[in-house]
Amino acid sequence: MRGKFWHAREFSTVLILVAEVLFFTWYLWPDGDRTHPFFNAGNFLLIFKYSSIYGIAAIGAAIVIIAGCIDLAPGAVIAMTTVVTGYLFVNLGLPLWLSAFAGLGVGLSAGLASSWLVVRAKLPPFIATLGIMGIWRGAAYIVTEARFYDLSAKLPRAWHIAGVSIDWLGPVVMILLAAVFHRFMTGYQWGRRVFAVGGNETAALFSGVPVGRVKVMAYVISGLLASISGIVLAVVQGQGKADLANGYELDIIASAVVGGASLSGGRGSVAGAVLGALIFGVLRNALPQIPGATFYDRLIVGVVVIVIVVMDQLLVRRET
Amino acid sequence: MNARAGLEFRDVHKSFGAVRALGGVSFDVTAGEAHACVGENGAGKSTLLKILGGIVRPDRGEVWFEGAVFHPGSPRDALVRGIGMVYQERLAFPNLTVAANIFAGRELTRGSAGRLDEHAMRLRTRELLEELHVPIAPDVRMEHVSAAYAQLVQVARAIAFDCRVLVLDEPTTSLTDAEVEHLFRVVLGLKARGVTLLFVSHRLPEVFRLCDRVTVLRDGAAVGTFRCADTAPDTIVRAMVGREPPQRVARTAPAASTTPALAVRGLTRRPWFEDVTLDVRPGEIVGIFGLVGSGRTELLETIFGMARPQAGSIDVLGRPVTLRSARDAARTGLALVPEDRQQQGLCFNLSLRHNMMMPRAEKTAAAKIDVRAEVAASSAQVEQLAIRTPSVDRLPETLSGGNQQKVVAAKWLATMPKVLLLDEPTKGVDVGAKFEIHNIIRTNAADGMACLMVSSDLPEVLTVADRIIVMREGRVQGELAGAAATEESVMAMAAHT
Repeated sequence: MRGKFWHAREFSTVLILVAEVLFFTWYLWPDGDRTHPFFNAGNFLLIFKYSSIYGIAAIGAAIVIIAGCIDLAPGAVIAMTTVVTGYLFVNLGLPLWLSAFAGLGVGLSAGLASSWLVVRAKLPPFIATLGIMGIWRGAAYIVTEARFYDLSAKLPRAWHIAGVSIDWLGPVVMILLAAVFHRFMTGYQWGRRVFAVGGNETAALFSGVPVGRVKVMAYVISGLLASISGIVLAVVQGQGKADLANGYELDIIASAVVGGASLSGGRGSVAGAVLGALIFGVLRNALPQIPGATFYDRLIVGVVVIVIVVMDQLLVRRET
Repeated sequence: MNARAGLEFRDVHKSFGAVRALGGVSFDVTAGEAHACVGENGAGKSTLLKILGGIVRPDRGEVWFEGAVFHPGSPRDALVRGIGMVYQERLAFPNLTVAANIFAGRELTRGSAGRLDEHAMRLRTRELLEELHVPIAPDVRMEHVSAAYAQLVQVARAIAFDCRVLVLDEPTTSLTDAEVEHLFRVVLGLKARGVTLLFVSHRLPEVFRLCDRVTVLRDGAAVGTFRCADTAPDTIVRAMVGREPPQRVARTAPAASTTPALAVRGLTRRPWFEDVTLDVRPGEIVGIFGLVGSGRTELLETIFGMARPQAGSIDVLGRPVTLRSARDAARTGLALVPEDRQQQGLCFNLSLRHNMMMPRAEKTAAAKIDVRAEVAASSAQVEQLAIRTPSVDRLPETLSGGNQQKVVAAKWLATMPKVLLLDEPTKGVDVGAKFEIHNIIRTNAADGMACLMVSSDLPEVLTVADRIIVMREGRVQGELAGAAATEESVMAMAAHT
């Protein structure tokens, strides 16, 4: 939003991603002329495919965080969306597009409920969305009763849309949404309002910004994007299941933070959040390929989050 | 200089990034004297205090204290070595008791496990507060303590341990006259006991009352030290500003027969104000004077739609309006420059351009940001109000207080309001910026804007306003013509008699 500064911020996230890819390319270099286990097109598609589930929801998380709030519901929303979509598609036999559309209702209602609790009932965002997270996750278990909906049985095998494999659905949706929302946050009055509310809510109110509406919008976007993640997950993985995306909310928030979002509000970037999701995607993909690192991958991911954010703060401190 | 207990700054340099805050400051404070340090915002006063208080370290140069080089490593270090700081802001822990605030970081303990000795701390606090004539209990939580007493609690914190230099940073900004009196009596009492005072203020009359000598800082350097007894205030002002103050913009007050741009009738919002009736005509500057707590800020916020009145009506340009938000108010042609620019005025994460264009965008309801038009419009404001910044893409924190205040004014002037509400428009800004802000108000009034200005600064109200409305305890006490009013006649109306 501030010319050079934001560029520098996203630029540094890109650098981290490139450094990470180079590191694993070097570290996992194969003997002889076997194909590289990490640096090959098929593996990159895999990374993109799995990162897009976090990445799409991380766009919404970044917007909520920039507004000075937090959303813990995305993981539960993703799971409930797969369940709703699966139930309608498999059990009721509705067409896929209609089932998916209905799945969006999960995110919409989560966003509306969270923002009502935050704006009207004045609950702290952490508590409000913790509650919504529990409710949607719980609802998913109640509906499925430990079963799951097998979408893959009804979906065509090796499915292609307009000649493109279904594997590309997630990455394409993620990149399109990132482009749209990045523009929305930097070039439009609604986006600027989000930054203003997160930076100084009182001053925003005194400037005529409809603070309540801005928060409602942020939570609704976050909910809808989590639902889109859920739809992508349901279609690509072919399942609707209550325990999918368990604990994703923290990975989603971490993606946004690694991409430059500040939990105290007013700072962050949509493009950065998607890059953050890719940074995690590469780690999750490459670490299990290192012999003996299997049990270390969660620990390494945790360390990487802290290192990146600390580096980032040191950079910011030097700039100001 | 006196090696016994004096404080001396020797060629102190400090830069923050590319910004040079101090470029070689040298002056000395004799032991036992009351020394003032004055200067415009951005002159380097606060950096100097931060060095003294152990918050930042100088890049170059030395501070000497009691005959030895003094470079405190932390605020605690400075305090332990006898430098007590009283900052402009309230103490840091509103949720803790007065006693806990006084002993924060230096709690009295019992036994080797370091168990807190609450009893001893409470007793010592009671003693200190009695000494300062502060009638509050040690167990009261800090958030319930008034601004004036909060200031004195800071003094108590400073003198709780052996304090040889007491530093006061703009201690009177949010105090009423009676409270200032109380503070000064306490401080002069400490001086009589041999405590050296270093007093930082914008208010020259206070400096002259309290201090023996005054050092003027400008652009990060000490431009001179004067003896208060044989210096005229004008000399100090010229030294601070470094130039003659700008000419006052000439204007004539509008005729009393014009239809008011803002007409308030019987406006009531208990417990803050009741039955307030006032008119402001286009081109007129009306001042509202009253002591702190007389309901003036709440009145402006209610007119501006930030709160709902219980009774009464507001007419703008002859038409009754019901405002539900600042947004409604902006669309009706109102603007409010709020009292607290840090809290209510600026978003510090956004550039000056975004800050300045926000109300305008809310007013016009444009969806897309037209960067080129915004740069042009905000640059025009920067030029018109003489805001000193190299670019509209800078962040507000790079500006001095006076320039930040002008940015807050600019964001609302950019909406081209019909009625401009100003709440303490020159609070905490320096002399030069104050003149400029007064001229901005005059220029806009001369162009036909109706201005309603709340101020606790009586000379300001007297020089700027055409009419003065005096409020006391939420009610309008009376009205005086600006030309005929004197400090005595206004104060008599504002205070209990």
